[in-house]
Amino acid sequence: MYGGGYIFEEPKRQPLSAQTPDDPEKLAAFEKRIANGEKIEPGDWMPAEYRRQLIRLIEQHAHSEIIGALPEGTWITRAPGFKRKLALIAKVQDEIGHGQLLYNAAETLGKSREAMINDLLSGKSKYSNVFNYPAETWADVTVIGFLIDAAAIVNQVANAKGSYGPYCRALERICYEESFHLKQGHDAFIELATGTPAQKAMLQDALNRWWQPIMHFFGPPDKASNHSEKLMQWKVKMASNDDMRNQFLDTYVPKIWELGLTLPDPLLKKNPETGKWEYSDPDWDLFFEVIKGNGPCNKERLDVRKWAEENGRWIRKALMRPEEMKRQTAPVA
Amino acid sequence: MTDSLDPRVNRLRLDNIDAPFTIEEGENWQAYEVFHQEKRGAHHEHVGCVHAPDPQMALIFAKEQFGRRKKCVNLWVVRSADILAFGLEDEDMFANNMEKTYRDASGFKVMEKINKFKGKP
Amino acid sequence: MENLIKELVTKMADDALILGHRNSEWTGLGPVMEEDIAFSSMAQDKIGHAWALYRMLQDMEGGQDPDQFAFLRPASEYKCCHLTEMPIGTYEFSLMRHFLFDHAETVRYSSLLESSFLPLRQLAQKVKGELKYHTLHADAWIIQLGKGGAESHEKMQAALDSCFPLAAGIFEPGPDDGGLSDVYPGEKVLQERWMENIYPVLTKAALNLPGEVTPAYGGRYGQHTPYLHALLEEMGEVFRQDPAAAW
Repeated sequence: MYGGGYIFEEPKRQPLSAQTPDDPEKLAAFEKRIANGEKIEPGDWMPAEYRRQLIRLIEQHAHSEIIGALPEGTWITRAPGFKRKLALIAKVQDEIGHGQLLYNAAETLGKSREAMINDLLSGKSKYSNVFNYPAETWADVTVIGFLIDAAAIVNQVANAKGSYGPYCRALERICYEESFHLKQGHDAFIELATGTPAQKAMLQDALNRWWQPIMHFFGPPDKASNHSEKLMQWKVKMASNDDMRNQFLDTYVPKIWELGLTLPDPLLKKNPETGKWEYSDPDWDLFFEVIKGNGPCNKERLDVRKWAEENGRWIRKALMRPEEMKRQTAPVA
Repeated sequence: MTDSLDPRVNRLRLDNIDAPFTIEEGENWQAYEVFHQEKRGAHHEHVGCVHAPDPQMALIFAKEQFGRRKKCVNLWVVRSADILAFGLEDEDMFANNMEKTYRDASGFKVMEKINKFKGKP
Repeated sequence: MENLIKELVTKMADDALILGHRNSEWTGLGPVMEEDIAFSSMAQDKIGHAWALYRMLQDMEGGQDPDQFAFLRPASEYKCCHLTEMPIGTYEFSLMRHFLFDHAETVRYSSLLESSFLPLRQLAQKVKGELKYHTLHADAWIIQLGKGGAESHEKMQAALDSCFPLAAGIFEPGPDDGGLSDVYPGEKVLQERWMENIYPVLTKAALNLPGEVTPAYGGRYGQHTPYLHALLEEMGEVFRQDPAAAW
């Protein structure tokens, strides 16, 4: 699962035009290819900025998957009953599987998996903000499984139509699995919504706590910039943050309301004239604070990842074949 | 650090985790491309890759990463480094610009000839 | 006879559930993503075997709902062996436990292919392929890490030394033993077959079996380590909030 809508702008970026001394002829052919709906493949010529942006995007997506395994993992040993227990383990496992697919896709662009993991551990590379919030009760698992996965699907279905072949292929499989997650999350969500008063109260409480992170999920409101336009033209960015947020609200708010649940935003409604959803602005200062590392779970999430990497090191090293490392080691597709 | 909500995490004892830690290049071994056969008689199709120290482990890993959900009866793995491919600049080699209808079924007008022989218009 | 079969099925189910639960704790925390995925699948398989066995019990006289039975019994009514109860510890411990346990499962289910008790015979047929993968995976790791240099070998040897007495407890002669010769050959025979299977792998891995060991017995009679109590407390935490509700 993933979200964030390209929110992690670097502070002092040069304008695109100043840093792309790309061969104009090759650039034109590249852009024509994309305009024709063709995919770009790993060995192809591509502008340096395209490569850089894609690595950043796919890498963040990959990190979001393996970090995203942790909030729901919180309840892996406590899931009630066989069906929920097995489904939750399988779901968390899928997130790791998605990370694996995405790191491979990013590696085809020339950055090694090791380098990406190191950038995650050092905090240089980010992951979706939403995973820096705690899963306090079992109901949180159902909210994440239903609504965060739903939001991720909106994002990923858009990205799957992008221009980079390996990323699109990975997303095709990921979207297929996410639709199973969504179904399973929705099922568990409904079970609580239609259950005992205590179950329903637990769910309403979780929904109230998760609503702001969900509104943050697609990133801050769009502002027109050349940067964004170029990425849209290159089919790296496929939809605007606001459009995706609107699409999400349009599909899922009715599914929440139909169960007799409420959302903690008195302004939330669909404008019948524009067809767009209106809502209170979530706290964007808080959003940037959490990105900076000051969210409730940032430290724990990274510490756990670090623990896993540190404790797994001797195992990985015991199986290293130094003589093999001289060969090319990245995936080709 | 404060207690985690995850009992698993509490059992890990994360107290000494603050020192910086980096993994070395090569710690994730090397890439193997994975080819998946959906049913007997079908082609093996490329589905992705795994990182593994050797072909045997690559197969073991591929079985769960690529065979756990979709129907699968067999897998191949091959080291990514051993794949040879054409580059984009060779795409013109594949273009069929010349008249080569002799390679297509549509290039042969059998019915036309039969009808002509039978005297039909 | 039916009571003895229930004893057998219960201990098999409890073993699979508790070890599957333990191994699932590694999901998301494994040493490398590919292994994380493989180990998680095998944990799910074990829990799936347990579920099938609890359903088998449900179909027998006086059977109970599998969720209620698996999640809410008092610890003294569980018949799992101590090997399955131990915390996940280090990865070498978890791998070694998986290796020893899944070879035991393999000989047990192989013998059940000829059982006079049809439901077990049918289940044995179903799980055959999964167990084949489990031992393939386990053998590859044990051999590679056993031969993966001095540090790795030392860790694997230590893991074997601590797991082996616990694993011997899998074959504790239980209340079901002796009276079920048509159903399965009994623990003593299984243990001999198990030794025949694990020995060549350990030899290839250059690992030595510890000498005289005291098997960790008691589990088959409901005597458990404190780890099981804590595990059950945790596993049933949500379910116990309202055991009558649907979750």
